[in-house]
Amino acid sequence: MNDPSELPVNEIPPEAQAVLNSIEDTQTRFKRNLAFSLAGLVVFLFFVLYIIGLDFRFMARWLGFIMGGMGYTLLVSVLAITLACILAVLGALGRLSRNPVINSLATAYVSLIRGTPLLVQVYMWYLALPQVGQALERMGIAGAQRWFTLPALVAGILALGVCYGAYMTEIVRAGMQSIGVGQREAAKSLGMNSSQMLRRIIFPQALRVIIPPVSNEFIAMVKDSSLVSLMGVWELSYRAIKIGRRYFQSLEMLVLVALIYWVMCIILQSVQERVEAHMARGDRRTH
Amino acid sequence: MAERDTMVSIQNLHKVFGRDIYVLRGIELEVKTGEVVVILGPSGSGKSTLLRCINFLEEPTAGTICVDDLTVRAGEKGRERNRRILEIRKKTGMCFQSFNLFPHMTALENIIEGPVTVLGQKPQEAIPYAEELLGWVGLSDKRDEYPARLSGGQQQRVAIARSLAMRPKVMLFDEPTSALDPELVGEVVDVMERLAREGMTIIAVTHEMHFARDVAQRVLIMDNGGWVEEGPPEEIFTNPQHERSRRFLAHIL
Ligand SMILES: Nc1ncnc2c1ncn2[C@@H]1O[C@H](COP(=O)(O)OP(=O)(O)O)[C@@H](O)[C@H]1O
Ligand SMILES: [Mg+2]
Repeated sequence: MNDPSELPVNEIPPEAQAVLNSIEDTQTRFKRNLAFSLAGLVVFLFFVLYIIGLDFRFMARWLGFIMGGMGYTLLVSVLAITLACILAVLGALGRLSRNPVINSLATAYVSLIRGTPLLVQVYMWYLALPQVGQALERMGIAGAQRWFTLPALVAGILALGVCYGAYMTEIVRAGMQSIGVGQREAAKSLGMNSSQMLRRIIFPQALRVIIPPVSNEFIAMVKDSSLVSLMGVWELSYRAIKIGRRYFQSLEMLVLVALIYWVMCIILQSVQERVEAHMARGDRRTH
Repeated sequence: MAERDTMVSIQNLHKVFGRDIYVLRGIELEVKTGEVVVILGPSGSGKSTLLRCINFLEEPTAGTICVDDLTVRAGEKGRERNRRILEIRKKTGMCFQSFNLFPHMTALENIIEGPVTVLGQKPQEAIPYAEELLGWVGLSDKRDEYPARLSGGQQQRVAIARSLAMRPKVMLFDEPTSALDPELVGEVVDVMERLAREGMTIIAVTHEMHFARDVAQRVLIMDNGGWVEEGPPEEIFTNPQHERSRRFLAHIL
């Protein structure tokens, strides 16, 4: 038996070192094998597509045209996400409000929007709203019909923003409620009023909790932006579907557009990881 | 500006939680400017509730609270009253058992948060005093650390500095050392003691006997939401008059 006091300080005994080494080996082996199998999967996928006889030249020829729809996709996504974020913060404040009118408005918003299909909502904004305008016009409000008849792009942005705003309201509300009562009390005892406390103490900490689920919503929304193609906006998926149909090469076009969406989402995900790492700077782990 | 003789005055304070949890039963308390008062009493007797009523973290059910030149009565309503409560909070520093530092801010950012957000100072204006306070609590080298990387004792000292940055007229301590490992208690009590020596008005709930015996000018014993006994520490500790205080002191001494 070794007497512990005889061991030199800070020197890990050989049997412990062997265990550490084998843990490290296992980890590096896992990482290497993971990379191998991912690469294998990609090669296999392309092999399958090749066997099926995918026309890669056709895909390359139309890549530029399809990418031309990227502008619309990004425009719709960015504006709808911005709108959704604003609505989510207002919605969360409303859901936590002690004012019964504001609270019930926010609750009704979330309930109604979450309880109806997005597809129906898109058509509501695009096709049903002009009818409301017509009715208002008949009631003597001049110009109502023109105002309530939205261009496809605007209808799409409103539909997506309002819809995702409702889902995100619940995320933001839960995030704000997750901040402990001690933080509120510390803020209050410094003499902060409620808006100072929200702005300086609650929101910055809630953001931390909110970012992963909100990123999920962002990624979902980029893909749901393809719904505006229903109204004839020439965005990514609409172009792919049109060209695919015209030349009876839908497989090529759908594979291509799927890959484009996938790459966009991978980029978004890496942005999310960076933001999360930045947010974690107050943690014990980092530094 | 003339200093007032009485800094905190509480009259006939009652607190009922819900409909029937009767916690404070007609508390009276006068604390002189510069006085250091320690409140002792068994767990659940209402000590925290009393402190939290002083800065309105709890809404008193009945009674009157005066801090410096501000008076708020229970049951008053309206904007003007809320403004007075915010003023009381600015004049009152509070130190919690669980520190409650803002985890997304460094030590320095925690300390300037009150002056910048509440008093509207520019960060450049607030930083010199914040650095002075950091030095005063012995943590100049932790200026840019986040709370998660500080020990409990260090966090509590930053929390004290954060309160002091508002230049409060009275400090409330609610068991500031009971969440700390024993070897870290001393550094926090030391800061409290120096604060007392510099003339701060202090109301402290603490079972640190050294602070109660050697620093406090007056000790009050609370039980069941009322005062059992009060007096200078030497009297209370050597010759308690009431059976309930004797029993309680036997536990903690
Ligand atoms: N928010 C609350 N709701 C209901 N009861 C409470 C609340 N806060 C404190 N109490 C009760 O009030 C009593 C006194 O609590 P407290 O002031 O924390 O005592 P102490 O600090 O002396 O240990 C306890 O019985 C506690 O359960
Ligand atoms: Mg307590």
